[in-house]
Amino acid sequence: MRGQRVLVSGMGGELGSLVASLLEAEPWVGSILGIDVDPPRRRLRRSEFHLIDPSDRPRIVDVVTGFDPHVLVHLAVWEPDARAGTTRAKRLTCEAATSIISAAAESRSLEAIVVRSGIEIYGRGRGSLTRPDEDAPTHPSSEYGRMVADIEATAHSVGARIGVAVSALRLAPVLGPHVPSPLGRSLRQPVVPFSVLADSPFAVILDSDAARAFVAAAEQRPQGPLNVVAPGAITTMQAIRRGRRLPLPLVGPEWRLVRHLSHLLGAPLPEHVMELIHRGRLADGARLTSALGITPRVSTQDVIDRLFEWEAIVRIPASQAA
Amino acid sequence: MNPVIRLPRSWYPADSVDEWGRDAHLIELLTPAATLRWDVSVGGVHHLPKRDGALLVTNSRFFSLSTIYAAWALSQTIGRPVRFGGRPDIAPLGPLLQRLGGLLNKPEEISGALRAGELVVVSAKGTRDPRHAGPVDPKLIAAAVSSGTAVYPVASISTPFGRTARVEVGPVVRSRRKRRGPLAELELAELTQRHIQRLIDGLGGLHTGVAPIDFLAEG
Repeated sequence: MRGQRVLVSGMGGELGSLVASLLEAEPWVGSILGIDVDPPRRRLRRSEFHLIDPSDRPRIVDVVTGFDPHVLVHLAVWEPDARAGTTRAKRLTCEAATSIISAAAESRSLEAIVVRSGIEIYGRGRGSLTRPDEDAPTHPSSEYGRMVADIEATAHSVGARIGVAVSALRLAPVLGPHVPSPLGRSLRQPVVPFSVLADSPFAVILDSDAARAFVAAAEQRPQGPLNVVAPGAITTMQAIRRGRRLPLPLVGPEWRLVRHLSHLLGAPLPEHVMELIHRGRLADGARLTSALGITPRVSTQDVIDRLFEWEAIVRIPASQAA
Repeated sequence: MNPVIRLPRSWYPADSVDEWGRDAHLIELLTPAATLRWDVSVGGVHHLPKRDGALLVTNSRFFSLSTIYAAWALSQTIGRPVRFGGRPDIAPLGPLLQRLGGLLNKPEEISGALRAGELVVVSAKGTRDPRHAGPVDPKLIAAAVSSGTAVYPVASISTPFGRTARVEVGPVVRSRRKRRGPLAELELAELTQRHIQRLIDGLGGLHTGVAPIDFLAEG
């Protein structure tokens, strides 16, 4: 299956750029086309990129149908308070899912759709499973969870209609040196709030491990959802301790004030991060290995350690930059 | 990034929570307190698998916390995490019990843990009589059947006022007939209850040494 055409939506994001650079090294990939509202964050040699707003559907349809992809890797998902506020993130995600997946459905060569989803889709309401696997029912209890549930629903309905395989990679919170993440941002603050009553465990995933999973899914095209979770777990208090931040123990009503303060200080705590801090967020990632033959290389504890090691700003002297 | 504060290394380990939220260090810290309450003697652990997952079903007297002390004592004996079903999902008790190895008493949750190769203790229906094994929930047995793991009966006896407690693991429960449908778990649940009862009967009673108040020992 050489010479496959791969369409990467969301190529401008850190994860999208990373996936594109890995795809460029794959022998089965012929050409790569990317769409996003931001330009790619790294140098890509073989990829073609189009700067298009998700609301510009006619142009998206023209570009996508002209490219006629074999595989769509849909990464155009805006996590609330990562690159955009919740309302804007929801609008952009919804528009991108509708326009790009619909445009790809018009392509005659399309064989598979791989979408980015999140383990937020399982929800953390009362009585929800501690470590759900892919067969667990989905009851999203945050805005981001509902957003990724909508993406999966859109992709599955399109896939069923035109008869192509749809895989949804449900990522744990993605952290990486340049990944805009509300969780990472709040953990890197000098003072980090945590719940005294429920210091629940969560898992994360490193951006490079997530990117490898997308490349493997684009090549092998499994049907259905797969959890992508780094091994191990950590609680907020333990993460604070690893980063040697100052813990701020909170009980209940003062969370509202702390959320406002954190927002003002540039580290907003959206609903799904609040849910993670209070209720934890774990998932069973065993099926990824059996379905795609890959395992995340970096454990949750190591990702958290690296989070505190990444430089906030890399200063390049003017002479060097020129 | 520079650290904001420096904490003593042994104050609180930063990697002691496993993928189900069990905190081995916290359990180690609380073990002396648990030993003050229960002095558990454990038997029959040679029946348990070395690596694979298994569902352990124990009898339960009301308020005896039999799943907690059985999981704790078995874990101490075999040197492997043993989890227990039946934690509530309300803070702060739910998250605390999760750190001690607690799982929700939902078949999907138990099934997930068994598939992941964990040992899980669940309780039969609670009874007033400590020497009586209550009915076993077939839905929990179905979790073991669906994940292809073995079911073991566990007899647990403790006293409400004394420290002495006993946990005895029996051999794997096998159904005589092979069933394709839900009868498999129904029959296995009944069989497990009978096995637990047999184990309890085999343990004999705990005695205070003073005949009129012997009933106190049978807690």
